[in-house]
Amino acid sequence: MTTSTNKATVELTGETGMHIERIFDAPRERVFAAFTDPELIPQWWGRRVDTTTVEQMDPVTGGDWRFRCESPDGTIVFRGTFREVTPVERISQTFEWDGMPGYVSVDNATFVDLGDGRTKVVTDSLFFTKEEREGMVESGMEKGMNETYERLDELLAS
Amino acid sequence: MVQYQQLDRTLAALADPTRRAVLERLSQGAASVTELAEPFGISLTGMKKHIRVLEEAGLVRTEKVGRTRRCELGPRRLDDLSEWMESYRRMLEERYDRLDELLARQDRELENGNKNEGDTK
Repeated sequence: MTTSTNKATVELTGETGMHIERIFDAPRERVFAAFTDPELIPQWWGRRVDTTTVEQMDPVTGGDWRFRCESPDGTIVFRGTFREVTPVERISQTFEWDGMPGYVSVDNATFVDLGDGRTKVVTDSLFFTKEEREGMVESGMEKGMNETYERLDELLAS
Repeated sequence: MVQYQQLDRTLAALADPTRRAVLERLSQGAASVTELAEPFGISLTGMKKHIRVLEEAGLVRTEKVGRTRRCELGPRRLDDLSEWMESYRRMLEERYDRLDELLARQDRELENGNKNEGDTK
């Protein structure tokens, strides 16, 4: 089931930042678990066509993470290091993908308990330069753009 | 890649509050550089620089009319920018929709678990 009212908002902040907010209809503990539990991550991380394998996941301050996304159009590896993990409240991590090795963004995710059983995830991504911010969006678009209509098909078929 | 260089220019042009105000002013109709400079209290040279940045980004078009330079909104509209952001948002949304589905599955499992527990009692 998809809750169509919970749409992500994306804003550019300053020269090199990106601010993303999204509400989930579940308590904070469960949303946080979905972001950190290696059993749960493959069930949602990546595109629908991707098979995501968690190769490494050590969600503690200083720990590393590494996901492999395989699809008919290729394999992409995403990885990074956790700068801070404060259970159910905050995750700060570096993020890079093997298409642009060494180009790292820092993603700070805050899990806000809305007090009614819902959780708002607020993510601030900081890029080193604005060109890198655009590069990230560009690669995301190539990967993700065709999916919207497939999702709509599924929704209409169900 | 070319279109992203163009986008970069657009973002740079929009990063400045004066230039955003100029666009807002021009959305109400064409104006000369002098007319644009006046309300902001900046020099003609300063305003010309702003206009050049906007022009390079395609956001403003200028034309020399007699001794003044007439400015109007250019061919490039902010829609391009919002399209770019919307594509990115949709990419994220797919992932978040899948997380919604995972959380809903968990809800159902929790519900069934409680029901089964109730049945056995």
